[in-house]
Amino acid sequence: MSVAQHRLEGMAEGAKRAAGWASKPVRQAASAARPRVFGGGEDDGSATMLHIDMDAFFASVELLEHPELVGKAVIIGHAGGRGVVTSATYEARRFGVHSAMPVARALQLCPHAVVLPGHMEKYKRFSGEVMRIFRSVTPLVEPLSIDEAFLDVAGAKRLLGLPSTIGALVRAQVEAETGLTCSVGAASTKFIAKMASGRAKPDGMLVIPAAETLAFLHPLPISALWGVGASTAESLSRLGIKTVGELAATPLDTLIRRVGEASGAKLHALASGLDPRSVVTERVEKSIGHEITFEFDVADEQKIRLELLRLSDQVAVRLRRAGLAGKTVALKLRFTDFSTITRSRTLAEPTDLAQTISDASRELFAALGPVDQRVRLIGVRVENLVTAGDTVHQPSLWDDESAPPSGWRDAEATADLIAAKFGRTLLKRASLVQPGPRDRPAATPQPPTP
Amino acid sequence: MKFQANRDVFSEAVSFAVKLLPQRTTLPILSGVLIEASGDGLTLSSFDYEVSSQTQITADVEEPGRVLVSGRLLSDIANRLPNAPVRFYTEDHHIIVTAGSAKFTLLNMPVEEYPSLPVVNEQSGLLKAEDFSTAIAQVAVAASRDDVTPVITGVQLEISNNSLSLVATDRYRVAVRTIEWDSGTSSIDTATALVPAKTLQEIGKTFGNSGTISVAITNTDERELIAFKADRKTVTSLLIKGNFPPVKRLFPETVDNYAVINTADLIEATRRVSLVLEREAALRFTFTIDGVTLEAIGSEQAQASESIDALLTGTDTVVSLKPQFLLDGLGAVHSEYVRISFTKTDNPNKPGPVLITSQSSKDQAGSDDYKYLLQPNLLLR
Repeated sequence: MSVAQHRLEGMAEGAKRAAGWASKPVRQAASAARPRVFGGGEDDGSATMLHIDMDAFFASVELLEHPELVGKAVIIGHAGGRGVVTSATYEARRFGVHSAMPVARALQLCPHAVVLPGHMEKYKRFSGEVMRIFRSVTPLVEPLSIDEAFLDVAGAKRLLGLPSTIGALVRAQVEAETGLTCSVGAASTKFIAKMASGRAKPDGMLVIPAAETLAFLHPLPISALWGVGASTAESLSRLGIKTVGELAATPLDTLIRRVGEASGAKLHALASGLDPRSVVTERVEKSIGHEITFEFDVADEQKIRLELLRLSDQVAVRLRRAGLAGKTVALKLRFTDFSTITRSRTLAEPTDLAQTISDASRELFAALGPVDQRVRLIGVRVENLVTAGDTVHQPSLWDDESAPPSGWRDAEATADLIAAKFGRTLLKRASLVQPGPRDRPAATPQPPTP
Repeated sequence: MKFQANRDVFSEAVSFAVKLLPQRTTLPILSGVLIEASGDGLTLSSFDYEVSSQTQITADVEEPGRVLVSGRLLSDIANRLPNAPVRFYTEDHHIIVTAGSAKFTLLNMPVEEYPSLPVVNEQSGLLKAEDFSTAIAQVAVAASRDDVTPVITGVQLEISNNSLSLVATDRYRVAVRTIEWDSGTSSIDTATALVPAKTLQEIGKTFGNSGTISVAITNTDERELIAFKADRKTVTSLLIKGNFPPVKRLFPETVDNYAVINTADLIEATRRVSLVLEREAALRFTFTIDGVTLEAIGSEQAQASESIDALLTGTDTVVSLKPQFLLDGLGAVHSEYVRISFTKTDNPNKPGPVLITSQSSKDQAGSDDYKYLLQPNLLLR
């Protein structure tokens, strides 16, 4: 074992004691590997922004219960009808399978893949576990989604050592406690860190010292930059700009004329390795919504009304959990021909009650009049959010039917308490209890809009 | 079609005709103003199936005819025309408007597709324009502006015997004013009509100086509408369907506990102190024998307080009011002094409403019967 490895292991042990971790045996393999440092030098401590991304998260979680499938092509998704791939093992990705691809298409590419159904509850549990490990290293954790986060370890350096040491520590701890692997990108800014983790995958770590940022960045194609989609890339390539380095060398004026003021300035900054964003531990949510794509397009209005109630319930639960209330209720409908409409209504007072949200969304639906197409997707979203206790409640002179009787507040609050103890599946609205097996996919929570 | 009209008369008529048109109409032709020229002058009309406006003016008509032209555009043009007679004629498929050396060519919209305006010939009664206009301004301020409950976006007009009362509410306050109603030759002595507050406010502004307004409430083809006529101008509006909440019963019979304050002083102080308040927050008013103290609290960054004279009858009282709601009431009493009365309640979660009425002097209650009832907030400490 080299001197560097000795030091690394020693720091890890010290850190675990400092953080009060349970002394579970740590698998040596992952943590003992020498970190890859871009440019071939040593980790100089300048790459304090970590981007940690779980490797094939959903698939890896499922494989914990299917050890016989380890090393095989496995796809997580709903096998029938409109199912899409939510995750796939690297063995399946090698065949071109990726997330959001229809399962049917994935099976054409990789016919021998095993398709397993997803279990969102399980992923959430593992995600919570992983985020807890991240937060034991530093409080400056910004979860980006269920399976990735930014960690600012500038302050944790003194206690836990170099960023690469901390990265190795987290990787080892995640594997020891969950059996899952993750990849770490360490850099001086967020977006370089995210690019680095992508290049460290799977089960690896890549450190990009601040001094190496431009050397790492400039040879990359411009499409690797955040905010460069197909059309921007096309527009820039007509100027002869193909790599990030060429973009950085282009005068800002030229760029602004080509792609506009805001994105020109932003691209120029990114291409020069500048990204001033810091870790935001709590994002301020602007809206909360749920939507569902039906397995088969729906014409039955009663079914849509029921679905609106169910979605409203889910939205209200999330609002209450976040301590928020919203003043605007928006309804989204996508029809068979993929045309999409949204309608919204602003309420007299912010609400976090499913009954009120459901009433508003059903009224919006009714106001559409007769719908001559089948409905493919339906969504309910609450916008104009305020912190629930923050608004001064202006009592009204009289109670009218537009305000739900206070009994609903008690009922929904009680349902929250029961759910906290026994889970959400136990207690349901009578109208949402289904005879027989479930015939529809679960609604997917929409990410809060930043 | 070909006519010549006085510039100011024409411009005023066009402005009136387009004033009640919504910013966006459901059908493009509804954004037009219909101009009909005949032997005795011009008729200008607009109609969006909810509200119609129509006016007659005199003009030298050389060639009668009927055209439809973009209302807002014509109104903008008419307001800017130089001070010279307006000449208006059709040429091929266009409309030409000239005044002095200015010349405009406008699109002739398809007049055949324009709907016919509701015709109201009956009369339910007469109103004094000035009183009606003042009453609308005093009451409509309390009407709801959100569309959650359409019935309260209207002003309820209630006719009984020889009076007309106007009522509006947004759940948090109720404003009521009663004025004289002359049923004239009609046999109508009780009727109600729920008129959109926005439309009624425009009507109040338009007819404010018209002397006497003729009012008709009719029901034809299941469409209930109200018509106002004065000065060769007619406005009709569909009524809002539904039952207006019986808010008049919320007003207390008598109140023993009240304060009398100089209206302007209270308005000034309220505006000043609420500068530090966060949006939607309430002001705290403490009434004692020494006067009233206004305090803005609740925001950590800034606080403010001010005391002004008040003549208190009854016990010391503390209320928490939204400044804008109070200011709306104070601005509507139209009197030098104002009486703020405190009602009692048994409900611990809802303070008793506050009643605002006019006061012609420190000791003398106002002669009008304007009443503004306001629901205070819960006291937070």
